[in-house]
Amino acid sequence: MIRFDNVSKSYGDVRALSDVSFDIAAGEIVALLGPNGAGKTTAIEILLGLRHADEGTVEIAGHLPQSMEARSHMAATPQNTGFPDSLTVREVVTFAASHYRRPRTVDDALRAFELEELASKRLGSLSGGQQRRVALALAFVPDVPLVLLDEPSTGLDVESRRRLWEQLRASVDGHHTVLFTTHYLEEAEALATRIIVIDRGTLRFDGTPDTFRRRFGSRRVDYVGEPLPGRNGEVQRVGDRTVVTTADTDAYVRELVRAGIAFHDLRITQSSFEDIFLEITGARS
Amino acid sequence: MNALILVRIHTLAVLRELMRTPAFIIPTVGFPAMFFALFGLPYARSSSATADFIMCSYAAFSLVGVTLFQFGVGVANERGRPWERYLRTLPVSIVTRFAARVSVALIFGLAAAGLVALEARLLTPVNFTAAQWLVLTGYTLCGAAPFVLLGIAIAYWVAPRGAMPVTNIVYLLCSFAGGFWMPPQYLPSIAAAVSPYLPTRQYGELVWSVAQSGHDARTAALALVAFGIAFAIVGAVGYRRDERARYA
Repeated sequence: MIRFDNVSKSYGDVRALSDVSFDIAAGEIVALLGPNGAGKTTAIEILLGLRHADEGTVEIAGHLPQSMEARSHMAATPQNTGFPDSLTVREVVTFAASHYRRPRTVDDALRAFELEELASKRLGSLSGGQQRRVALALAFVPDVPLVLLDEPSTGLDVESRRRLWEQLRASVDGHHTVLFTTHYLEEAEALATRIIVIDRGTLRFDGTPDTFRRRFGSRRVDYVGEPLPGRNGEVQRVGDRTVVTTADTDAYVRELVRAGIAFHDLRITQSSFEDIFLEITGARS
Repeated sequence: MNALILVRIHTLAVLRELMRTPAFIIPTVGFPAMFFALFGLPYARSSSATADFIMCSYAAFSLVGVTLFQFGVGVANERGRPWERYLRTLPVSIVTRFAARVSVALIFGLAAAGLVALEARLLTPVNFTAAQWLVLTGYTLCGAAPFVLLGIAIAYWVAPRGAMPVTNIVYLLCSFAGGFWMPPQYLPSIAAAVSPYLPTRQYGELVWSVAQSGHDARTAALALVAFGIAFAIVGAVGYRRDERARYA
């Protein structure tokens, strides 16, 4: 569905993307992760045909991103809403739908993002969260194979974000390919079947959320008791608890038992996505 | 999708948006009629010939204003809007969207000129045959084309904040020196000297040819085409420059 092959892009002296490649197959739901300024938005803009790559090949379903064919294959949300204030929700969704051959019905799209009651409200009178929902309805009403979402939940509180995820999950079915950018790792985890991390314009990771954790996620053994002797660095003492960070937690526990050290309340935890992310990008987000 | 259907959809969307902003629509459509009431009516009452001439001037004045502001100020303000970026991701060509914008400007322009004509019909001895009304409408619409292009040139060469004052000055100076408010022979000497080289004056000559003899519609039309080409080139260069800066 998407071919993004050895793409580089600079703005003057600033290198926004350098030699980034990824292909996305039909049906994938891909999170494009990275801190601010990582190059996520540039990548999306190139896919949308809003910017040209300096080098590399970009295709949407075999077409150049600027072509009408590519544009009829994909739909997007605006990153900053900035809607025409005096149009109503229904009008703007109808407007978007009318550009495509086989759109969903407007009512259906309004329902999917809980906008029925707001249908006759003017866009200028909506809250930020409501406007985000309208933006998503604009991306899903065309019912095209590829949907690009640039930071779909930025600026929402936790509860609205979760609601939005539910609505997104319900709207995506087998025939949609979705690429979304986010700087919330939680969002990637909740929605994506694949994660791509870019940082400072280079590709840092590309794989499933599981691989992502396995590769970067160190595990921790955490218990009340003394640490194993002869281990440095990865051992922390927190009150009477010992916290050990290690790739092989099973081996550590086996050694602990073998050494006859008394322990209780033992927990094995995985580091959170946030921790992993900070690890990859060098604690700089 | 069918391009004509999309022109209609985009025209309606812009029309809806503007119609719901009374602070925009009333001054835009009403300004030329107000100006006509203040400065045209006192003279237009004197005779049919004068009334015909002045009404033609104000019809052209209406279209120049609406097109310059729709394109000069409107496009300048929109070129940086996030909504504009979103529209670019839709499967619709720039030509279709431009056609919609022109339609909107012509609708508003006709409304503004229509108010002037109505005022003239009710309050002056204006004396036109049906054929003259028809020709005037055609000339007024066609003669507005260079001003659409001039507006675009302003929009792409002047910073968005500057678009309003620059458009205003261009509009008022060119209207004055073009002879829309007083016949060219009464213009002060400097204005009279530059007048023949202004697109507004040529537009005036075109519409005045409907009201009285002594105005050469063909020469005026050729001059307007030349102005149109010049403004189109300046606008196109500005457009490309903006494209490179914003969407390279």
